[in-house]
Amino acid sequence: MPEMLSLSNDPILFIAVMLAKILAVFVVLLLIVAYATYAERKIIGHMQTRLGPTMTGPLGLLQPIADGLKLFFKEDIIPAQASKVAFILAPMMILVPAFITVAVVPFGGDVVIGGYTVPLQIADLDVGILFILAMEGLGVYGIVLAGWASNNKYSLLGGIRSAAQVISYELAAGLSIVAVFMLAETLSLRGIVEAQSGSMFNWFVFSQPLAFCVFFITSVAEINRVPFDLPEAETELVSGFCTEYSSMKYALFFMAEYANMVVVAAVISTLFLGGPAGPFPGVINLLLKIFFFMFVLIWMRATFPRVRYDQLMFMGWKVFLPLALLNIVITGAVIVL
Amino acid sequence: MIKEFIQGLSITARHLLPGNSTTVEYPKVKYEPFERFRGLHRLVPDHSGEKCVACYLCATACPAKCITIEADEDENGRKYPTVYQIDLLRCIFCGYCVEACPVEAIEMTGEYELANLNREDFCFTKERLLK
Amino acid sequence: MATKETMTINMGPQHPSTHGVLQLILELDGETVVKATPHIGFLHRGVEKLAENRSYHKALPLTDRLDYLAPMSNNLGYVLAVEKLLGITHEIPQRAKVVRVMMAELTRIKSHLVWLATHALDIGAMTVFIYCFRERELIMDMYEKLSGARMTSNYFRVGGLSEDLPEGFEQDVKNFIDAMPGHLKTYEGLLTGNAIWQKRTQGVGYISAEDAIDIGLTGPALRASGVDWDLRRDNPYTGYEEYDFEVVTRERGDTFDRYTARLDEMRESCKIIQQCLDRLEDGPILADNPGVCLPPKEKVLNSIEGLIHQFKLVTDGFKPEPGEIYQGIEAPKGELGYYMISDGSANPYRMKVRPPSFVNLQALPQMVEGSLLADVIATIGTLDIVLGEIDR
Ligand code: SF4
Ligand code: SF4
Repeated sequence: MPEMLSLSNDPILFIAVMLAKILAVFVVLLLIVAYATYAERKIIGHMQTRLGPTMTGPLGLLQPIADGLKLFFKEDIIPAQASKVAFILAPMMILVPAFITVAVVPFGGDVVIGGYTVPLQIADLDVGILFILAMEGLGVYGIVLAGWASNNKYSLLGGIRSAAQVISYELAAGLSIVAVFMLAETLSLRGIVEAQSGSMFNWFVFSQPLAFCVFFITSVAEINRVPFDLPEAETELVSGFCTEYSSMKYALFFMAEYANMVVVAAVISTLFLGGPAGPFPGVINLLLKIFFFMFVLIWMRATFPRVRYDQLMFMGWKVFLPLALLNIVITGAVIVL
Repeated sequence: MIKEFIQGLSITARHLLPGNSTTVEYPKVKYEPFERFRGLHRLVPDHSGEKCVACYLCATACPAKCITIEADEDENGRKYPTVYQIDLLRCIFCGYCVEACPVEAIEMTGEYELANLNREDFCFTKERLLK
Repeated sequence: MATKETMTINMGPQHPSTHGVLQLILELDGETVVKATPHIGFLHRGVEKLAENRSYHKALPLTDRLDYLAPMSNNLGYVLAVEKLLGITHEIPQRAKVVRVMMAELTRIKSHLVWLATHALDIGAMTVFIYCFRERELIMDMYEKLSGARMTSNYFRVGGLSEDLPEGFEQDVKNFIDAMPGHLKTYEGLLTGNAIWQKRTQGVGYISAEDAIDIGLTGPALRASGVDWDLRRDNPYTGYEEYDFEVVTRERGDTFDRYTARLDEMRESCKIIQQCLDRLEDGPILADNPGVCLPPKEKVLNSIEGLIHQFKLVTDGFKPEPGEIYQGIEAPKGELGYYMISDGSANPYRMKVRPPSFVNLQALPQMVEGSLLADVIATIGTLDIVLGEIDR
């Protein structure tokens, strides 16, 4: 294997490759986000014996673009009593962390460009997984801020719910993947992927089924998807934290929700399903896994009722947290033995 | 517990299969109302113009009081309405006018696309009702 | 020094799940409801007063618009009340009676389907919503085929029915009730066993049998608390005594019990409809009472008496003897009563409607105080209120 490309050995190529990678990931992510909204509407539509969008373009394929344009040209309303700066800042604070997280997800093996090895990953942080957890934690500030800045009681309730929910579930989510580090003996996502290489049965989903389940469920809760979509809970809180938002700001929330879905799907695929490993070229494997998880999320949305706030807390603290701890203990015991 | 979750998921998945859609793709496909559908009124025409003999029964029976009739006699001494108007903004489509008419001069059609841009357009005059 | 401040929020009249224009003023301590005050009247149209200015015949379409999810039940209650006022209850032909029962039970299913749809949607299970509406659409089609309108049916008449069953209608009904148990299984598959659904409904919105009676709850909400009371059996009308059906009761009086009770009621309704189909015989559909019922169209067209009769009745209407009566029926949502006073003229002197939703809503504050915000939504759903009927 040739030497790893870095800023010191070929700065120009490094920057060019870096920009290309960032651009590619960003564009792909945006595309997935846009078409995730379409897919969600189509899939849920068909599950509900409807058709979903059909009018804009063939099969309604231009729907996301039409939606985007529509939101773009809508009047942007800032409530008179809202706290302006925070109100404007909040949607960005939600979207940016969601996008940043993707930086550490490896989307393929190494390739050789210009005599150097280039990893197909934007940044290989040694503490990649902590970075992801941190960013997911940051996202909640946007929600809380949005809820508070709107100066609307429903939004406030949504924001508070979200804060409580993310804090409790992050704990369980973080603990559940500790077992994965213990097996991989690294915090870098690249390392974790390498630890799962070889046959399919090296994937951590087989050795850590409990951690997989707990992490999946807590992640769903963290990104506020059904059945844990309490901060929005449109039948209870009208639209929760984004009740007062309109136009592009609303679109940012909307994008953040789907971006978060992609991120969670990518992280789960990386941690438990071997990331880009599989029969096809690396990126395609990863994308397939991401699509699979997103389909499951959509499917769940079509099927399940919403849990109640106190039940959510109960599950977070009294079910998932102990389960995650138990899993660590078991894993530890197995490793030592 | 898990079993029930899976059961629920399988129900939604089953509906995902093609052929389950019940959507009528309006406006590409028009909904065909049944025969008795109480839509827009129609005055039944006959050789001398309209069958209506301006007896006012429909206007009397109408609970919404939305039918305006003015009667006159033609050269043969036959009564006919010079003005026959239905204000669809008031009409509740109850069908009492049809029920009341003694000569079956008014009927209700399957026409249900009744949106208009101006208030005046909701006033259906005799000419429009005869179409 | 902890002073406790509560937050007052205004739920409705524009809120996704207050089932129309109900306004609830909620006092919240965190997410716990301290006090709930329903405010009503946003949909007031003065139906009772309007009826006083219309002949008995013309007041009938007004009743369609009370509980707009169960128009035929409202029609039925009204025509029964007027028939009682006229003293012609015994003259109603058998066929009309059977069709009335059949349509009333279809209406019950229709109303319960909307209840289940919106209730499930409120709790977040949105697919059940569409499935229920799909089946409801079939009933709407039958309504349209039969009466010409999907919502404002205006089909029953004082003395019988406005028109006979159209061709193939019995087959439609048969197909529907044959398929319905399967559909109910689908809904149950999505909800009943689901742990989240159970958690959200069991023990929520509890009301004891005594309280339910004190407040005057009726319908499935009362029966789910364990009170065995159903006007169809206990004070039968339009021939319900001849049918064989069970009154569905439950014990615990919570949202889950009301849910299962209503589902079982739909099954019972299917049974009754089947019996109706077996009983349908050819025969007249209007009472033979020229003072009340319009003559058949052929008679009007072909005979001078018919014509005069038509003119007389449409212009003057009929005039019941002075007196007052009360007629209650078991509407899908509970006891729907009409209190009619006649002063001997062609218009009712007073028409008082006892809407089940209005009375049932009174239980809401008691049921939600002390529970969480999300339970308020579940409880509104389980009470199955319709604002058209509450505000009238
Ligand atoms: S349908 Fe009813 S409201 Fe409309 S014009 Fe006829 S009688 Fe009047
Ligand atoms: S439509 Fe019929 S009821 Fe009305 S005025 Fe003409 S003839 Fe009389």
